[in-house]
Amino acid sequence: MRGRPLLYTSYEADQALLNTTTKRVMLGLFFLVLISIPFQVVPGLKFLGQEDWLRLLTTAAIFVIGALGLNILTGLAGQVSLGHSFFMAIGAYVAVWLGGPEGGPLIGLGLPIWIWLPAAGIIAALVGVAVGPTAVRVRGLYLAIVTLGLVFIGEYIWRNWDSLTGGAQVGRDFPPLQVRLWKEEPPLLDFTTPSTWFGVEFSGAAKAFFLMTVFAAVSALLAKNLQRTRVGRAFMSIRDRDIAAEIMGVNEFAYKLLAFGISSFYAGIAGALLASFVTRVIPERWDLFLSVQFIAIIFIGGAGTVTGTFLGTAFVILLPRIVQNFTLWLQAVATEGEGILAAIADVFVATTPNDFGLVNTFAGVGPGLSVAQLNLVLYGLLIIGFLIFEPFGLYGIWLRIRNYWKGWPFTY
Amino acid sequence: MRRKSKWLAILLVLGLVLAACGDGEGGETTTTAAGEEETTTTAAPSEETTTTATGAEIATDVGVDLEAGTITVGLLSDLSGPFAPLVTVINTGHDIYWQSVNADGGVNGLQVELEVRDTAYVVDTHVQLYEELKSQVVAFGHSTGSPQTVAINPSLQADGILAIPLTWYSGWSDPAINANLVPHGVPYCIESMNMIEYLTLQAPDATTIAIASSPGDYGEDSNAGAVLAAEALGLEVVYDGTGRINAADEATLAEVASGIAGSGAELVWVTTSPTPFGSIYGQALATGFEALWSGAGPTWNPALVGPDSPIKDALARDFYISQYYAPWAAESEGNAMVRDLVAEFAPDAPPLDYYAEGVIEASILHQALLAAYEAGDMTQAGVLAAAKSLESVTFNGLAPDETYVGEPNDRVQRAQFISRPDPAGLAGGASTGATLIESNYTSPIAEAFEFTEACFKLG
Repeated sequence: MRGRPLLYTSYEADQALLNTTTKRVMLGLFFLVLISIPFQVVPGLKFLGQEDWLRLLTTAAIFVIGALGLNILTGLAGQVSLGHSFFMAIGAYVAVWLGGPEGGPLIGLGLPIWIWLPAAGIIAALVGVAVGPTAVRVRGLYLAIVTLGLVFIGEYIWRNWDSLTGGAQVGRDFPPLQVRLWKEEPPLLDFTTPSTWFGVEFSGAAKAFFLMTVFAAVSALLAKNLQRTRVGRAFMSIRDRDIAAEIMGVNEFAYKLLAFGISSFYAGIAGALLASFVTRVIPERWDLFLSVQFIAIIFIGGAGTVTGTFLGTAFVILLPRIVQNFTLWLQAVATEGEGILAAIADVFVATTPNDFGLVNTFAGVGPGLSVAQLNLVLYGLLIIGFLIFEPFGLYGIWLRIRNYWKGWPFTY
Repeated sequence: MRRKSKWLAILLVLGLVLAACGDGEGGETTTTAAGEEETTTTAAPSEETTTTATGAEIATDVGVDLEAGTITVGLLSDLSGPFAPLVTVINTGHDIYWQSVNADGGVNGLQVELEVRDTAYVVDTHVQLYEELKSQVVAFGHSTGSPQTVAINPSLQADGILAIPLTWYSGWSDPAINANLVPHGVPYCIESMNMIEYLTLQAPDATTIAIASSPGDYGEDSNAGAVLAAEALGLEVVYDGTGRINAADEATLAEVASGIAGSGAELVWVTTSPTPFGSIYGQALATGFEALWSGAGPTWNPALVGPDSPIKDALARDFYISQYYAPWAAESEGNAMVRDLVAEFAPDAPPLDYYAEGVIEASILHQALLAAYEAGDMTQAGVLAAAKSLESVTFNGLAPDETYVGEPNDRVQRAQFISRPDPAGLAGGASTGATLIESNYTSPIAEAFEFTEACFKLG
């Protein structure tokens, strides 16, 4: 049966993770490129190996983990949640409770990462299951409001529980990415400082990048597998028509709780890793905007798909940097260049305090959005745009491109 | 599904609006040094030595290009977060200062260029942008916010780069954490000693004081000094609202206002941002409460005595403005320079006090760059070493002189400026709403205070 696409003779082949050669090749290439990034060998992508880009990619890998969790709840089970940042905060604070320095002025037990990281996920999941019953009573818009409430309750607690969180606007240092068997010094593995592994010099940023990539890959594999099980199909049936699902024997209550639990587990892990990677986090970090970023990832990438989650995360995390570099480039064009391009750029950017422009690159006294504000506006526009014009997100766009070329030249 | 999508779109946009509006909390903040000493050692960037026209050998690594004749300086600025209105003006101060330096031939012929990044007052973004700029700039002209500066501090030390903190936390003068930082201006805790003692000089019979603040290092540091001053002056603290003010939560403002008014205090010391201060002051005033008020520098904003402000006349009667630098209309040579710079390089910009902050930061860095050139080492580490060896940086009356050598107790800044609100001057365009009454003021308590470490510490 070789060479006949989309012809499957067994259920296993049809449900296989990588059911076509193209997928296998592309995934292999993707991993090769990822691994090569810190070594700066792929032409055109060398800049990604610089420390600041590595940090950005590492952040993206952490966000992938969180987004995969929300994708299970929102994309698969169809339950919109704005409370994701609350569960991330729980993960982060469990991590610092268990892993923070012992005997200091703040709560901490000084335990190693193999305890605090799983615990961050498990306790976040338990909290998710605990608040689940109130949430599964309501649907759609009302569920979004209920979970929105969690973010504000959480923010209040984090701001005021000084001995755990360090206090509002102060924050505390989180346990570093170091692997220890118990509390020994120096650590067994240290992902924060440069060292030589297998005869190759690795920077701290490169090591953290590899670690997070592995975590993200494992999370993605688990999420993808979940989709293909009885549980995953039950989630999708609830999403598509909950009453019909119940008639078919899907226990809606139990599966919704389970979805909350799994999603919160992912969120807890992501929160702990994010805090540990950033090193210092203030309680205000776990705000509504963080939740909105995850919703944006899901809808921009494509709800319910693992590939879409990766695309969405890359888009949302890298967009600010791209917008920033683009405006800086426009600024250079506007100030140095001449001709039509410079004139257009000049309308777009305000380069001096009194210049008119949509974006204010030199921040002085004057009109114009800052780059971060422009990013907020772009998120909003993109979410609206995708929901209305491309509900399957970037993944949907990819599918259409793929299908076009699949049938080429006989597209219709 | 279509209907659902529509609702989702509306909801998410609402969510974004909420998220954008929600971050109203004012007050800078922080903590002490990162818990543990990190012993990161990064590979030193390749260093080169070039012989200049004058025959001197100058070592450079990052941010100084002798061939192109440029020096690149980084600014980690909050341009879209809670302090954006102030920091945009401060950046204009930087801009006009360096424009004038460049117009006069630059730093020994090298033109200074600014690389500005918007941190939005978010710690992760701040760290991320630090990583981006550290391979482009020779030093950081400012780093906005205390938790943000604490977060990059271990990296600054590992990379050997200088930064000027744009916050007045007393920890920046603490030798435990300031190896790569050169602070300026009176720290919050010494500022409160100055101002509270000054208030008692205006009301010699006062025996009671109320204190309130925003959370974070800003409020805690300031109130640590306030409590010390109250004790030394024999004042009874009849209301203590340390950390109680949450700008985003009206209820806390009402609680603090009624706490202050109900205490019957004769003096009030408030450490917060202008909007919550205006609300607290207005509510206390409405109950008929009258006292002498003052607050840490960032509490004040001239808009409080703007033409439409209902509290402008009461503030002119009750309030003493604490300042780290002399206000716009002051007579010093330094102030005249700021006015000239604005007139020449930003002629349409309105008169504001905060250009001075940018000019002060830029002046410190300017001195450090000159000293580094002199020493023949314009590497990142060379500029850091040069800044740390500056014995005297003078601002010609714009701000008290700074020194970065000697014991912490000898070099910590104790002097400051005090102004009175001037609604008439603001309305008439004669001033920026503040009339200077004391220059380089240091109270006896602040003078006697033994500074060895941060007034407010957190592990």
